[in-house]
Amino acid sequence: MTGIGAGLLLQLGLGALAVVSALAGAPSLRSRAGGILCTLIAVTGFLTGLAALLGATGGLLIPIALPMDPLLLAPDRLGGLFMLIVSGVGILVSLYAMSSTRGPDASRTAWAAMPVFLVGMQLVPAATDSVSFLLAWEIMTLGSTVLLLADHASRATVASAGIWYSAMSQLSFFFILAGFAVLAAASNGTSFTNLQAIEPGSGPANVAFVLFLLGFGGKAELVPLHVWVPRVLPEAPSHVSAAMSGAMVKIGVYGGLLVCVRLLPDGPAWWAIAIMLVGGASALYGILQASVSSDLKVLLAYSTTENMGLVFLGLGASMLLRGYDATAAADAALVAALLLAVSHAAFKSTLFLGAGAIIHATGERNLDRLGGLGARMPVTASAFGIASLGAAAIPITSGFVAEWMLLQSLIHGGRLDGAVVSVAASVAMPLAVAVIALTAGLALLTFVKAYGIAFLARPRSVEAADAREVPPLMQLALALGALSVLALGLLPGPIAALVANTISSNPTVAVQSVGLGGVSLPGIGAVLDPIILVALSALVAIPVIVSIIVSARRHPHRTIDLPWGGGGSRARPRMQYTATSYAEPLVRVFDDVLKPSRDVQVTHVAESRYLVEHVRVEQRVSDVIETRLYRPVLNLFQRYGIVVRHVANGSIHRYLSYSFVALLIVLIVVSL
Amino acid sequence: MFETFYPQLIGLCTGALLLTSALMVWRHSLLASIRLLALQGVALAALVAVIGIAEGESELVLVSLLILSVKGIGLPWVLAHQSKASIKQIQESPRLNPTAALLAVTLLTILSYVVVSRVFGLGDTTTGHAAPIGLAMVLIGFLLLISRRRARSQLIGFLLLDNGIATIAFLTSGGVPILLEFAVSLDVLLVVLILHVFAGRMRTKFGGTAVDQLRELHD
Amino acid sequence: MAAVSAIIIALVQVVLFVFLAPLLIGVIRQVRATIEGRAGAGIWQPWRDVRKLLVKNPVRAADSSWMLRVGPVALMVSSLLLCVLLPLVGTIPFPSIPSDLFVIVSVMLIGVVALALVGLDGGTAFGGMGSSRHMTVAALVEPTLLLSVYALSIPAGTSTISAIVETRLFSPEVIISPVSVLALVALSIAIMAETGRLPVDNPGTHLELTMLHEAMTLEASGRDLVWLEVGSWLKLAALLGLVSNLIAPWGVVTDFSALGLLIGVVSIAVKVLVLGVLLSVGEIFLAKVRLFQVPELLAGSFALAFLAVTASYLVA
Repeated sequence: MTGIGAGLLLQLGLGALAVVSALAGAPSLRSRAGGILCTLIAVTGFLTGLAALLGATGGLLIPIALPMDPLLLAPDRLGGLFMLIVSGVGILVSLYAMSSTRGPDASRTAWAAMPVFLVGMQLVPAATDSVSFLLAWEIMTLGSTVLLLADHASRATVASAGIWYSAMSQLSFFFILAGFAVLAAASNGTSFTNLQAIEPGSGPANVAFVLFLLGFGGKAELVPLHVWVPRVLPEAPSHVSAAMSGAMVKIGVYGGLLVCVRLLPDGPAWWAIAIMLVGGASALYGILQASVSSDLKVLLAYSTTENMGLVFLGLGASMLLRGYDATAAADAALVAALLLAVSHAAFKSTLFLGAGAIIHATGERNLDRLGGLGARMPVTASAFGIASLGAAAIPITSGFVAEWMLLQSLIHGGRLDGAVVSVAASVAMPLAVAVIALTAGLALLTFVKAYGIAFLARPRSVEAADAREVPPLMQLALALGALSVLALGLLPGPIAALVANTISSNPTVAVQSVGLGGVSLPGIGAVLDPIILVALSALVAIPVIVSIIVSARRHPHRTIDLPWGGGGSRARPRMQYTATSYAEPLVRVFDDVLKPSRDVQVTHVAESRYLVEHVRVEQRVSDVIETRLYRPVLNLFQRYGIVVRHVANGSIHRYLSYSFVALLIVLIVVSL
Repeated sequence: MFETFYPQLIGLCTGALLLTSALMVWRHSLLASIRLLALQGVALAALVAVIGIAEGESELVLVSLLILSVKGIGLPWVLAHQSKASIKQIQESPRLNPTAALLAVTLLTILSYVVVSRVFGLGDTTTGHAAPIGLAMVLIGFLLLISRRRARSQLIGFLLLDNGIATIAFLTSGGVPILLEFAVSLDVLLVVLILHVFAGRMRTKFGGTAVDQLRELHD
Repeated sequence: MAAVSAIIIALVQVVLFVFLAPLLIGVIRQVRATIEGRAGAGIWQPWRDVRKLLVKNPVRAADSSWMLRVGPVALMVSSLLLCVLLPLVGTIPFPSIPSDLFVIVSVMLIGVVALALVGLDGGTAFGGMGSSRHMTVAALVEPTLLLSVYALSIPAGTSTISAIVETRLFSPEVIISPVSVLALVALSIAIMAETGRLPVDNPGTHLELTMLHEAMTLEASGRDLVWLEVGSWLKLAALLGLVSNLIAPWGVVTDFSALGLLIGVVSIAVKVLVLGVLLSVGEIFLAKVRLFQVPELLAGSFALAFLAVTASYLVA
């Protein structure tokens, strides 16, 4: 048995052990034992994934009696990369959950579901045939649903979120199942090697592509299948949201890559354009909703939609460019999409864990009631700040490198040796650049808002004022997450080179590592070395710091005084800008897209209508896609349900008569 | 010398045509639109002159003079003929939000590029490559016609449309015959004059030329 | 050798612009004062302000955090990095971080973010208001910024700004091409918005409802305020330098020599100051537009930038 096979087997064994210990263990030890075992599962997965990413082969063969190809778990390099992403997030989440869970989140069911969820996610990228892929997929979905529902008894919103989540994941599963069924029927086999034989432009391939896009797009939170996200991610316990957004969503991305790069490579141009359209729309819509949201976890959830949109935009661009033989740019775009997925896993899980820390300390996730947490929770604040920089794609974080590479490939992709490659590319590339630029700008605002309102200035509520730093183990998870964001941003070269190995047979043409950790795109002629950028900033900072020291000699301490209160003596914390007011200009600018409902009630003093007693402003931004697209469909179903209730009223006689009528119809049809 | 600068000059003229069209959507004031229209007439004349010189057809140079006098000077003068003080205050309140209109302009430009390249092929010549700009002007003209409320602003959309057609004609076939161009220009001038007189009459009679309000006349 | 000359040029650029930026602001203010019929404070006043602020005792708001100390330095460092990376005096690029378009925009965004956070840190309504508006403008400017430089990059075939400037130096007919004109107009509007000049922000105002930049610096004082102010001036000067090199690339150093360096320094100083005077004269005729008309202006500039990119595919 090879190392990878052993690693996979060890994961399964540890998973079973963790489930048993959660079900049978004493309540006082449950969190600790579960956390340690889950961490071990994730570490095993990490090492297995690393081995697969570095090119080790081998796997786990599970013979079955059914007339299908045997189940084979043997991750290739791409699968290894995604195992690495998923288990990396798993390590953070398990460490964090060990000390964060309490109440229903630490129940027997929750701790039994956690290892199931982790193992399921790590097995999906290892699968090499459609049956084991679907099995692992279902294990993952099952685990996450149970985890989400852990707290359903105390909060009604959790139950509603659970229904949305189950419905949408089953819909995804159905589409993926149908997609594999179409391919399997056309190729007479269920293993991926058999499926690869299908011609990408053929009829079954086209049908399967659409089904897969719907299925994996739903999992990857793409518009318009993202509706579960703003309900589920905020309601789930924070470590579960981190695992879902950081890891599970990446499995959706892996599915997209599996179809477009591995199973049906070199598809027709309309596939690429469809993916770019869906990705671009998701990116814009997601960040727009995120930027106007005042609920910290809803904000992070929508921002996940944005990031996955960018990943799919990169994937689509790479497919389009490959179709026109702009290979260097195509490879760079694909590597950028993968880097974006890696970096998103790092920063988004840190952000969700940070949000969890805030909830742990204050019980509050409404930004309008937070503030001043920076002084009270320094470790959380630093980790959340670094991860926010990553999410806003500011140098020297991981998000920046990925977006830089994506933009480079788009700008240079439209032309090959100075000539326009095609009309489609020359229209798609500028549009994609514009979408990414607007997305990046809005992401900047979103995360300045999230960090600035929550951690700076003065507390806006008693809960925020009384906040304390979270326990050390949670701090450790946060610090690890923040460090990974920085490490990915400082050393993009080696990482990009590794990632390029997974998708290209000739990776050095697309991406090379230069200098200490710098990355270069030889086919495009672009280089970036973050370490030198840091060194340069340090150099130019020296004179600034020297003059500060000189000036501080005269006045070593700043005088503390009241902030300016507009002529009044005291500016109260209530007078600060809140998250809602911060996004107000943006809501106005994008009025036509967001369609906010605004309600202003002015109560006048009884004596005179010129004097105002109080003003009440209410503004709500709902998800337009949900209200305009899903509501009508759901209402239709509801009406249908009422009709069906009459047909199927529970009477055994009626069911028997239906069967009888059906039998008669069959007999008549046969006899004709 | 002229040969080397030929593509640049064609590019500059067509760029000016496109820019003035986009600016017409951007600016709300009628006076600014009229000035832009005059500028566009000049750019169109310059374009025709450049093509004429490059192909050595003196006829086209004549046509360019004609265009300059009608579209660059004549029409704008007729439109702006009122006392400047009153025209300065006319601000359009368009149906379409200006940001959306500007985005629509960019999308229309892309559309015309795609359509021309798909349906006709871009050809190898400089003029062939620039042809989509004519179509874009036609589409932007339509956009103005649809989105503007005032009769006089709609007139500007109509003239933009006419300029677009002329641009396509010159860029693709080296120009319509001089007689035809002459007749069309006169027709347009006539239409504008008639509409202008109508608009003036309506304004004195009903106090405004917002097309939405004019619907009441129907009943 | 290339690395050494790149370092020398970067050093010269930083030193030159640190001296030039306050002078530029002084000239802009003085020209405006003269035209408006006021005496003005003279072109050296910004320098005197800097000296005054550096020796003053800084005051901070009661609940402000370390952001008030670090934010201004971050803004200053981001502006200094702009001076290092942009091709101002010379176009010899740094090895392994060339003056790439996205790197430069992101470096500038570090300063934008730092300023916005400083604005929030004071815990007042004004700081938050300025920060919110500043970030809204920054978010909407970014598409124009990237697309206009995208358009400029097409003739050069690379998004490295020094290469773009060199291309324009060696084949000047590119400068008057429609693509370049459209892109430059769009870029200029974006830069005016980004640096808080009229008609987006009024740099001379202290009226609560109209200010963006001033609202954010309200709670800073002494040495904190110096970095906020000088950092913003440097950003303006560096970006004006970029625009001037794109419009008139002559005088810029492409092959390293002492004489060339001298010519480069003098020419960029003259170009930036001339552009500053033009800016000042232009601002006389402009009024600040309402905040909610700013998106319209930015959409207009975006449309121009986008047309520039599309046109570059059409004409070429």
